Amino acid sequence: MVSANSSTPDEQLVEATLAGDDSAFVELTLRHKSRIFGIASRFARDAGELEDICQEVFVQAYFKLRQYRRDSPFEHWILRITTHKCYDYLRKRRRGGASISVDAMLESGYEPSAPELPAPHPDLERLHAALAQLSPKERLVITLLELEERSVQEIAGLTGWSAVNVKVRAFRARAALRKLMEKQK
Amino acid sequence: MNEPTPHPDAGLDALFALARSHRPDTSAAEYAFETRLMARLRARQNTPDASSIWATVSWRFIPLFAACILALTIWQAESASDTTDAVSIASLDNPVAAYFGSN
Repeated sequence: MVSANSSTPDEQLVEATLAGDDSAFVELTLRHKSRIFGIASRFARDAGELEDICQEVFVQAYFKLRQYRRDSPFEHWILRITTHKCYDYLRKRRRGGASISVDAMLESGYEPSAPELPAPHPDLERLHAALAQLSPKERLVITLLELEERSVQEIAGLTGWSAVNVKVRAFRARAALRKLMEKQK
Repeated sequence: MNEPTPHPDAGLDALFALARSHRPDTSAAEYAFETRLMARLRARQNTPDASSIWATVSWRFIPLFAACILALTIWQAESASDTTDAVSIASLDNPVAAYFGSN
């Protein structure tokens, strides 16, 4: 059993988890959860969805840990899973059709169990409303590029798209966002 | 001298900068996350998924499948020999048809 402390490298904790030591995975979760929550919160609509995304990320990481090749840091690997999970959520949401109005939800007896993530500024609310109207690919790329300040190469690594593809999508996303923001004025 | 024209995306860039500076506070959601996660992992490990149930059941049914195949093979062999016997008897009843049938 590995004594999981802050000085133990991630790779050693991965080995310990694979050997059946769940406390090592707890340590990995503690180390990386803030980063994962930070990214996922850019895509989640409320605290419940945020929890779901993050749990799915770590559940997948746990069950697919054998697939982690040690050629890149563990953090990159789990960020790649996070990116894919966020993208899946955006696609699911898009497939689910138009969002239901709050009034309709309350009329149907819905009671919110988790508080919505607050938008602290009216301009940010406008931006979030516009981002919500982008396609999942556009939203993913613009969020990673502009809000998370990832480089094109990093986004290519996280999404599995080519760098050219990332640039083209970012350009289109920006143009679409500009148009949406102008419409809102 | 002309004043520099503002960049067409200046407004958008300002909004992005604002969004970057207002990272959502996730500390409440992060609280005891690892406890909830480990509970979910344990629950998932204790609940067999559909594919593992199918794998277990199919292995247990292998002797039954083997017996079925054996019975079918025996039945097919017997019915084939019955057919050969019936053709032989028919040829005795009608020797002309048997002659033309064989040629």
